[in-house]
Amino acid sequence: MPLFSRPASAASRGAAGAKSAQSRRGLRRIGAVAAAAAVVLALSACGGGAAPQSADGKVELRFSWWGGDKRAQLTQAAIAAFEAENPNIKIKPEFGDWSGYWDKLATQVAANDAPDIIQMDEKYITEYSSRGALLDLSKYDIDTSKFDEAALNAGKNEDGLTGIAAGINAATILANPAVFKAAGVEMPDDSTWTWEDFERISAEVTAKSPKGTYGAAAYGTDEASLGVWLRQNGKSLYTNDGKLGFEPSDIAEWWAFLKELSEKKAVPSASEVVEAEAAPLDQSGLATGKNGLAFWWSNQLPALEKAAGGELQILRFPSKTGSSADANLWYKASQFWSASSRTKHPEETAKFIDFLANNTKAGEALLADRGVYPNSDVRAAIEPKLTPADIKVVKFIDQIKGELGEAPAPPPKGAGAIQEIVKRYTSEVLFDRLSTEEAGKKAVDEMKSAIS
Amino acid sequence: MSAISELSSIGRRKGPATPEEKRANRRDNKAAYIFLLPWLIGLVAITVGPMIMSLYLSFTDYNLLQPPEWVGLDNFTRMLGDARLHNSLRVTFTYVLVGVPMQLAVALLIALVLDKGLRGLPFYRSIFYLPSLLGGSVAVAILWKQIFGTSGLVNQVLAMFGVTGPGWISDPSTSLGSIILLHVWTFGSPMIIFLAGLRQIPNMYYEAAEVDGATTLQKFWRITLPMLSPIIFFNLVLQIIGSFQSFTQAFIVSGGNGGPSDSTMFFTLYLYQKGFGQFDMGYASAMAWFLLVIIGAFTAINFIASKYWVFYDD
Repeated sequence: MPLFSRPASAASRGAAGAKSAQSRRGLRRIGAVAAAAAVVLALSACGGGAAPQSADGKVELRFSWWGGDKRAQLTQAAIAAFEAENPNIKIKPEFGDWSGYWDKLATQVAANDAPDIIQMDEKYITEYSSRGALLDLSKYDIDTSKFDEAALNAGKNEDGLTGIAAGINAATILANPAVFKAAGVEMPDDSTWTWEDFERISAEVTAKSPKGTYGAAAYGTDEASLGVWLRQNGKSLYTNDGKLGFEPSDIAEWWAFLKELSEKKAVPSASEVVEAEAAPLDQSGLATGKNGLAFWWSNQLPALEKAAGGELQILRFPSKTGSSADANLWYKASQFWSASSRTKHPEETAKFIDFLANNTKAGEALLADRGVYPNSDVRAAIEPKLTPADIKVVKFIDQIKGELGEAPAPPPKGAGAIQEIVKRYTSEVLFDRLSTEEAGKKAVDEMKSAIS
Repeated sequence: MSAISELSSIGRRKGPATPEEKRANRRDNKAAYIFLLPWLIGLVAITVGPMIMSLYLSFTDYNLLQPPEWVGLDNFTRMLGDARLHNSLRVTFTYVLVGVPMQLAVALLIALVLDKGLRGLPFYRSIFYLPSLLGGSVAVAILWKQIFGTSGLVNQVLAMFGVTGPGWISDPSTSLGSIILLHVWTFGSPMIIFLAGLRQIPNMYYEAAEVDGATTLQKFWRITLPMLSPIIFFNLVLQIIGSFQSFTQAFIVSGGNGGPSDSTMFFTLYLYQKGFGQFDMGYASAMAWFLLVIIGAFTAINFIASKYWVFYDD
């Protein structure tokens, strides 16, 4: 017997023909409807509109952050601890590198598909807050009584408390002692060194090291080191009313010194600087032993030590006077926990942020990867768990407490564009395509229009 | 839509249709539409819809986070005074006007060599085509970055001859050239088309020319090139359109910022930065439409000019 026997109606086209044609037409119509339905279903699946809450009351929250492998591991551990305590909430992590993070977040927010919990940076928090994309967390149950006041205030703005500081940070210079040892140069004393010392020591390390190794990494790839320089010269990146806090001549001086460093080979060549910009943390010059000194945030030390496979040291920035009090450092909120204003589960989202900020178990998982804990209780409780690298970070933050300058004004709306401008004109200067004065003028013009 | 009208005309016959036939026609049309439905939905939802949206957005100030605000022609007048945009146009035009002719010349050259009837032709053809499959990919762009880095392969080879090469990709004076080279290297697809075109040229022309004592060069200028001109034209149009829109190589090689100092800031890359990096989607949309106009103009010029140099043998 044939497997697919011919239907009788098809064989005997006659009297029954009309009827069978009708039924075929009916079948076809059903087919068409089914096809259309399938397409519509497929399309609606892309929309992602429905709240991800299943019948058993389980809530799923999306949590996105930037950072490397080490951070991913630690954060997953914190998520696991939270899920163990809250079996009804599931946290779905999304993470990636800093460079792609902001493009992705902007697109997600525009598509009404923002993650519920967002790791936020001070450069962007005003941008997102003022446009109503972030939740005012003060309206939810998040305990901030044990928080360092400056860290808490950093997340406040006109639109409420839109970010809870995840950690405290400081701009630092990290040193790789192995490079100094190989060159036979003594490590600088960071409580007394000046920018001239920085130049002299770096140039000496380069001279006594194999080709391709330099005393220091170049600054100028972001605005943090510019901020330090300006503060030491009585200026600032931004003013409290959201304007630029410096003149073209200030930034020109900063570049002039960089050029001097470059001419004395204290820092890598222009081409190498450009190449280094693109390298991720674990392939940076400091981690690979190509730079003796480099500009990093304090919380990045543990990850960099891991990548370097050896010990690193945290140093204060040099000053103009050689007194560490004039280094004019400040505490920065390393990053914030923010929530999307369009989250469907604000209570649960707040609960998770509260857990990250105030629960010892979260602290034990995250340690000092995102900076020193702003919550004093957690900070004390996790002390015995800290790794030697974490302890260095905490110590440094404590050490500079008495020397800090005034807290800087928060970056205004549009500040996210500043880094790219700084970076671009730094290479214009290093490649001798623009004089420092011209670069200063053009850069300041662009910055002004970016934040206006 | 022309596909649909063609499809429906297939069933149509001269003379008045019987009611039975009309019904059948309608049925066929319906079936055709249903089969086309997935594609139609794709076209509307993924191409036409977003295009109309972006046309609207190009007249607005839209920061992605708040609803767009109508600003009329502001975005377009802003483009007039945007020095970085002018620079990105210069970079893109250099890339197209240098890269495309070079790529086509190399493709034609290789095709001529392969057309000589080498043994193992399919093997060589595949080998030469490979870069075209890989060229647009992220992996190759990353590889390119390594090869042309300060201490990359190229400079290591140069060092053997005592030459210290620059950081090809990280130096603003050579970075665009390196990306053009990457483009030229992906000559495979025009090469395959040239190869097919060369096979179409009847041998009798060459034989006749040989009888008249023509040299190889004369045969190339007088027979091959004119006979191949429709194919060259086809490749030219296609490559110019494609090159104006190229994005991946510059994005990867420069680490997404078009650097160093905007030397590889392609128009599309700047558009991307404006839209997604700086929350200026209205402006980015206006740029996209401007690019469409540029590409349209180039294609039109190409077609008009083709009357003077493309030779159709029929």
